[in-house]
Amino acid sequence: MLSPERLALPDYEYLAQRHVLTYMEDAVCQLLENREDISQYGIARFFTEYFNSVCQGTHILFREFSFVQATPHNRVSFLRAFWRCFRTVGKNGDLLTMKEYHCLLQLLCPDFPLELTQKAARIVLMDDAMDCLMSFSDFLFAFQIQFYYSEFLDSVAAIYENLLSGKNPNTVIVPTSSSGQHRQRPALGEAGMLEGVEASLFYQCLENLCDRHKYSCPPPALVKEALSNVQRLTFYGFLMALSKHHGINQALGALPDKGDLMHDPAMDEELERLVVRSKLHRTSRPHRAKEPGAFGFQRREKQEALERVSSASVPTPYHYRWEPRE
Amino acid sequence: MIPGKYRSVSGRAANNVNCGLHLVIQTSPLPEKNKVEFKLNKDTSSFPGRLLQHDLERNYSSRQGDHINLVSSSLSSFPILQRSSEEKILYSDRLSLERQKLTVCPIINGEDHLRLLNFQHNFITRIQNISNLQKLISLDLYDNQIEEISGLSTLRCLRVLLLGKNRIKKISNLENLKSLDVLDLHGNQITKIENINHLCELRVLNLARNFLSHVDNLNGLDSLTELNLRHNQITFVRDVDNLPCLQHLFLSFNNISSFDSVSCLADSSSLSDITFDGNPIAQESWYKHTVLQNMMQLRQLDMKRITEEERRMASVLAKKEEEKKRESHKQSLLKEKKRLTINNVARQWDLQQQRVANIATNEDRKDSDSPQDPCQIDGSTLSAFPEETGPLDSGLNNALQGLSVVDTYLVEVDGDTLSLYGSGALESLDRNWSVQTAGMITTVSFTFIEFDEIVQVLPKLKIKFPNSLHLKFKETNLVMLQQFNALAQLRRIDQLTIDPQGNPVVNFTLWKYYVLFRLSHFSMQKINGTEVTQNDMIMAERLFGILAHVASSELPQYRLISILGDARKKQFRYLLESKGKKPGIINEENNDSKRLVGENTNRATLNYTTRDFYNEKLEEIKEKKKFCKTYIEDLVKEATEINMKNEALQKLWPQMFIELVRDAVIEIRNKNSYMKLCLQQITDQK
Repeated sequence: MLSPERLALPDYEYLAQRHVLTYMEDAVCQLLENREDISQYGIARFFTEYFNSVCQGTHILFREFSFVQATPHNRVSFLRAFWRCFRTVGKNGDLLTMKEYHCLLQLLCPDFPLELTQKAARIVLMDDAMDCLMSFSDFLFAFQIQFYYSEFLDSVAAIYENLLSGKNPNTVIVPTSSSGQHRQRPALGEAGMLEGVEASLFYQCLENLCDRHKYSCPPPALVKEALSNVQRLTFYGFLMALSKHHGINQALGALPDKGDLMHDPAMDEELERLVVRSKLHRTSRPHRAKEPGAFGFQRREKQEALERVSSASVPTPYHYRWEPRE
Repeated sequence: MIPGKYRSVSGRAANNVNCGLHLVIQTSPLPEKNKVEFKLNKDTSSFPGRLLQHDLERNYSSRQGDHINLVSSSLSSFPILQRSSEEKILYSDRLSLERQKLTVCPIINGEDHLRLLNFQHNFITRIQNISNLQKLISLDLYDNQIEEISGLSTLRCLRVLLLGKNRIKKISNLENLKSLDVLDLHGNQITKIENINHLCELRVLNLARNFLSHVDNLNGLDSLTELNLRHNQITFVRDVDNLPCLQHLFLSFNNISSFDSVSCLADSSSLSDITFDGNPIAQESWYKHTVLQNMMQLRQLDMKRITEEERRMASVLAKKEEEKKRESHKQSLLKEKKRLTINNVARQWDLQQQRVANIATNEDRKDSDSPQDPCQIDGSTLSAFPEETGPLDSGLNNALQGLSVVDTYLVEVDGDTLSLYGSGALESLDRNWSVQTAGMITTVSFTFIEFDEIVQVLPKLKIKFPNSLHLKFKETNLVMLQQFNALAQLRRIDQLTIDPQGNPVVNFTLWKYYVLFRLSHFSMQKINGTEVTQNDMIMAERLFGILAHVASSELPQYRLISILGDARKKQFRYLLESKGKKPGIINEENNDSKRLVGENTNRATLNYTTRDFYNEKLEEIKEKKKFCKTYIEDLVKEATEINMKNEALQKLWPQMFIELVRDAVIEIRNKNSYMKLCLQQITDQK
């Protein structure tokens, strides 16, 4: 904990890097809002719970978008929460539209902006036919890139734009939030014979960008890896490559690998329990009993089984230990 | 024999006496061909002042048979009739040639003063050779084969003309018969009533068993008392009110099906006896009382006397009919008004949606497009609507133009369904609904209302309509799955219908499962008409169960409390606002909270706040955030200051410590002087 690098930083910078102040401010704000309820069981306990939840990544649930977006840790927690809650939808094999995914996002964050979801969808669909259906894993990985690195991507878009139109890549670019993406569409059409930009030149600019700016960027080495096998690339091609890159995913640390995406044994167990409970709940209502014989006979046994299970294992709330990231 | 139909009812006052003849003829067996025996009863009744009575039961004792010769003349083809002079003298005014197998009318010479002529039951095809009998009063051609009325133009005195059972197709050539009293044309092929308007002395007209399809053209028959139209194909009757003396009208066995087709009868004040049996109208349930009600002057219907009781019943029933008609008219007016209102509400809704869409698209185009576009869009949408009103207006009839189409909402209660159209209708939930009406409502339907507005009145719905089990939403702008969370606060829902029209949420693949998941505590039976199966529920649980688990078990305690508390606080606030601070409220609130526990609490945290509320809340929080920021900044400042001081101390401390030690050592260096110094210090202290 008391590593020398940490002590080397001046106070404010240290605090800012760790976003400590953000959490402090939010904690105090929450305290103010829920004064009456919290005063019942003590402020110390409140702070404990709050920071515990920050550690576990559950603090962003049902919070407003400005908070969810505020720190990289929040973003990762949100991605993780989204994955955990809706993995079952993916497992079921349903293909959904962009709007529906947006709806699911809104279930967790009521004012999540449609723009971000649209951008994520564009990555998957390569800017084509925006009301196509997408699979859960495709969307999730694209969304991860878009959401976590949104500022970075805006800058990249601007760079790409400039490269396409042949401007000097080393000039300072100040991207505006909307201009990058909007100018994208006509630009792709103008690419003409040679699609996109040259990969190596593009990478150079990106490297400069990463060095210059302080917001989170993907590790340059991994980006280089992603660009290594192509000569030329388009903007969405680049993003698609990023989203599919395992290394970047692991570096982010929010989601498991693509192969394991549908795996979560602890949650599956929990789910089974819920399903069984709901079955019992339904059959206990007399007018709904469709097979009174079958369920009624087994009911008692199942209840006993349930009791045994619940006493035996205390479900740990969070299996994946979230490691703090550099 | 004269048919018995012509008995006039005895006891009637004599009016319009035309003829005082008794025509009673008994059939006698035909002795031989060409020989006719006449047995006439010589009745001494005087000519004027006597009714025409056809009395078949009279017995005639005297039979006088005289022979009449029918000699065929060599000159013409017509046989010539000759009677013996005794006969001529005895029966000078009457001649009967019935059943003589005549095919033509014979020439009758020397009988110019004849008054009664009988040609019944022959085969005569044309009326001829009687023009000289200018004193003829009664001519009987019943049962012949006459096809055309003709040859009567000289018979100016004719009073009785019997042409029944012939083959006459048209009423004609009766112009000169101005004295006609009885005209019998039954059993012919007549299709139209015509050429009788000059018969102002006609009292009895028989047109039964013809091919008449309607009755009109009866004006001019100022003396007509009896009109027989049985066994025709009559569908409507007119001009009967132009018959000032008509008393008996027989319309049996025709094709009359409504009273409107015989409405002129109501205006005839003289009618007292009418028959309708054998018509379709007689089979109707309203037949008797409608006839009686419309024809108060009647004394006899279908040959039965009308009693006072019947008349009373008739007026009562007729009044009821009137009521019913008025009711149905009112109902149809109401329905029309409803339809117009709904159209109006729909129009408003469309305009509103267009406006919202325009705002959204304008925001997108802010930086690129010119400001002209929004105006164009508005213009185009507005121009669409005047076209719409065109057909609507033309559809109104005069009675409805008075109704105002300004209504912007509609509330309708139809048995067990409460329908609300337009956002203004939501206020109607505040009305004082009678417990009975409110208790009967099981279905509530919302149309053309924003879902966010509906959410705000759901607590009211819960309280005022406790039995509402089925909710229907159409054109309510349901766009997010989250919005269904709002329905969880209701007491119970058995059925949910979300109409695809105006509710984009239905296009999502997972919407039904989400509804089943979030509202699982209701155990809904039907969604959009399809039964909910066990599998559906399990699937819903599988898809979203983890969400519930996360939402309940992984939220920190204080968040759980705050989220749940928010929801309850909202409901409580509504209760306080609406009913004032009554002590009873507290109990209700407690009950509600207890019931909340019954709900699956693991999903209770999934709430829906309308966008406006949410933004409001965020606004409110901004102040607090600012305060927190400054507070934390202050704390940070303090902490960094302390930290700095600490660090400075850390840096300086070694030096300081060394100095302290050095000073101490220097002090103790000289033992003696140090001892002296200490003692001095102690004494100084005192």
